[in-house]
Amino acid sequence: MTSRAITRTAGVCGLLLLLAACGGSSGGTSTGAPPTGTPTNGGTLKLLGSGDVDHLDPASAYYTVSYTLERAFTRQLVSYPASSDLTTATTVAPDLATSLPSTTNGGITNGDKTYTFHLRTDAQWNTTPPRAVTAEDVVRGLQRICNPASPSGGLTYYEDTITGFTQFCDGFAKVNAADPAAMASYMNGHQISGVTTPDRSTVVINLTQPASDFLNILALPFASAAPVEYLKYVPDGATFRQHTLSDGPYAITSYQPGRSIVLNRNPAWTQASDPLRHQHVATIDITQGQGSDQAVQQQLQAGTADLSWDLPVPTAALPALKASNNPNLQIFPSASNNPYLVFNLLSPNNKGALANVKVRQALEYAVDKTAIGKIYGGPSLNTPLDQVIPPGQAGYQQFDLYPTAGHNGDPATCKSMLAAAGYPNGLTLTDVARNSGNHPAVAQSVQADFAGCGVKTKIVSVSQGDYYGKYLNSPSATKAGTWDISEPGWVADWYGNNGRSFIAVLFDGRKYGPNTVNYGDYNSSKVNALIDQAESAPTEAQAAPFWAQADKQIMTDAAFIPFQTQKVPVFHSARVKNAMWSPFAQSYDVTNLWLSPTT
Amino acid sequence: MSVTVLDAALGGGEDETFAGRSTLASAWIRLRRDRVAMISVAVLVALVVIAVAAPLIAQAVGWTPTQQDRTHGLTPDGLPMAPSARHLLGTDNLGRDILVRTVYGARVSLLVGVVATGLATIIGVVVGVLAGYSSGAVDTGLSRLMDVVLSFPFLLFAIALVSIVGPGLSISVVVITFFSWAGIGRVVRGQTLSLREKEFVEAARSTGAGSARIIVVEILPNLISPVLVLATLLVPTAIVFEATLSFLGLGVAPPTPTWGNMISDSLPYYSVDWWFTLVPGVALLLITLAFNLLGDAVRDAVDPAAQRTVTERR
Repeated sequence: MTSRAITRTAGVCGLLLLLAACGGSSGGTSTGAPPTGTPTNGGTLKLLGSGDVDHLDPASAYYTVSYTLERAFTRQLVSYPASSDLTTATTVAPDLATSLPSTTNGGITNGDKTYTFHLRTDAQWNTTPPRAVTAEDVVRGLQRICNPASPSGGLTYYEDTITGFTQFCDGFAKVNAADPAAMASYMNGHQISGVTTPDRSTVVINLTQPASDFLNILALPFASAAPVEYLKYVPDGATFRQHTLSDGPYAITSYQPGRSIVLNRNPAWTQASDPLRHQHVATIDITQGQGSDQAVQQQLQAGTADLSWDLPVPTAALPALKASNNPNLQIFPSASNNPYLVFNLLSPNNKGALANVKVRQALEYAVDKTAIGKIYGGPSLNTPLDQVIPPGQAGYQQFDLYPTAGHNGDPATCKSMLAAAGYPNGLTLTDVARNSGNHPAVAQSVQADFAGCGVKTKIVSVSQGDYYGKYLNSPSATKAGTWDISEPGWVADWYGNNGRSFIAVLFDGRKYGPNTVNYGDYNSSKVNALIDQAESAPTEAQAAPFWAQADKQIMTDAAFIPFQTQKVPVFHSARVKNAMWSPFAQSYDVTNLWLSPTT
Repeated sequence: MSVTVLDAALGGGEDETFAGRSTLASAWIRLRRDRVAMISVAVLVALVVIAVAAPLIAQAVGWTPTQQDRTHGLTPDGLPMAPSARHLLGTDNLGRDILVRTVYGARVSLLVGVVATGLATIIGVVVGVLAGYSSGAVDTGLSRLMDVVLSFPFLLFAIALVSIVGPGLSISVVVITFFSWAGIGRVVRGQTLSLREKEFVEAARSTGAGSARIIVVEILPNLISPVLVLATLLVPTAIVFEATLSFLGLGVAPPTPTWGNMISDSLPYYSVDWWFTLVPGVALLLITLAFNLLGDAVRDAVDPAAQRTVTERR
């Protein structure tokens, strides 16, 4: 698939990983603070962090921090409720739509291929005077996903499901990306054939085939409604960023790139119009330019700031926080497979040894996954993983084809299997690794493990920018064997029914090319067929067995070495109450918390 | 200067006067009397011995520089362990012995520091003498070249070059040499410019000596003193350059320990695991301080104007 993946890895993992622990994790139990006490309104919620959003335009914003912001100033047809229960928090609920379409309420028809949404009439833009959010705004939001100026990283999710989306986007790509008038004219003059608006408050979407995860795709902030005013600007351009409008409880009142973002209550928003969000705090103040996660953590603990914007809780600070049972620290699961080891199946090095399944199966035994976990803060945050799908996601069936005691690795088995595969003298592999965060430590840990198996590893340290562009995402560099193995990570775009955002993204060999996330070009006709069956299954229950089979096939082929799935530690200041985990932003939902006036 | 003169100076003892001795011989005597310089030399000699004997130290301690003591060298949460009988100066974030890694780190620092300084000095002297002696278009060209090199942003260039070529020990040396030679070159050019007008050069020229002979026999020996000072002061700069590159992940590839990448690794842990940052940090401080103090002392010793302050200090 496409650049979506890159942004996501660079975003979630890149951004957080860069500074210590990668975001992401999964499985297990969720523990949010239960909603307690009477809400207090007012006050300024202070967030502190290092950098800016990747994009401010909902069509292309892909970082977790952008999701934090979008929760406050954008709305989608469907979205997710705030809840301390992970299942509830990751189950789609109506937002701009009055109800979730289903086969029983007539919202899903035509053999699961037509979705009909009725819009609530009381949602409004903060224009002067306030104006209702209409079906046209929803359609415009979908059209903008493939605007040529700043196209969405999640584009293929929509192209692969909605009828006519690809044709619309192919034409849109040819429009002058610097000319807002030309883009507006294209959007007004062309339609996505599968999206129609019978009236001002009804949107009908036709799919090319059933897709049980379609509501998850619509809940991604890419599909936020967009007001007609957005046609005046180059998408995500500097002018656009100063003129965002809001249909959510907060509006961006000040945006200074790389320095600060301030949101205030949106007067056009009413509580009755929004089943998911609230307007407890008066102001949300985001200050950037902080140097380190430790500086931010100190401020949160001192109470001079409330939440971290983009920096993780420092790994080194965790043991003390856990030991003192600090009530302001919570640890949440996430749908991640991070990091993992990818094999370059195209590499000509070692006479193409990595294309040999027996070699890869031998290496599956080599890695000490417990040691990798320690790099990321130990077993309370990291669970060893032996398959693609982490616990709690569709198709998860626990299995371990290459078991080792305590997940500590088994160099002897690796060595003998490698000898049996025809490499008694081992191999020499090039490991391309990013030179920041935990990445160098991971590469050195793997290097020590592989050495135990008789495999020499040469580490090539590269910058985050070069990592994808010059190595993993470059088919020519991959074919030339500039790298043999690497340790990237992956976090799914949504939870639960997310095979499309996990197995299909990472292992569909038919989509190999520049910007793929299937870095090493694993291509199995069996897995590809299973992906097709899963994606077109009408329900999650029917899709899950196909994902499970694909998972097993991928591990049988030893296409990669999964290391672990992670949990995310999140800290808030003592005065933050009703802190609800927002799994997509990997932070607390700013539209549901309030500030205690006493502490 | 000749070897015999130096030998005489060495054997000479402290109460000898400087009369009749060459500049360098007198400088050596003054240096010998400078207690700070001698302490610096002792520290540097000790560091060289430690660097050379690194494998023996590793053997005595019982850990190799890349050995990961995963079960006992890390807490269950993956934090480094404090100094103990098992790891005398504690462990790093992969459970490796900090003492052994620091000792091995000295090898990289000294190697890069000395090699890069040597190369930079050779290039600087050659370019400086050529520019200063030849004047005219050659001088203008070489001088502008040095200006350009001196105005290069070091980090940007290093990051760009390493991104193209890939990190490593030799590329570190190349980058550091590239950024160091021009400073020496400028000083040498100035010195040559004034030397070439001196009477003894005129005299040599009038006796029919060629340019090559004048440069080698008349000018170069007179450049030894300033170049010696500059070179001594360049070593610590080169060592810090190397540490900077390693710190940014642009230096020697892991798992080879360098003080720069050790400090870089330690940053996430500075608030809880002090030894992790402190040990390589102190090592880096010690070596740069020793070289700088020695450089200052050498300058005092060879500079006639500084001679008075040295003697007054005694």
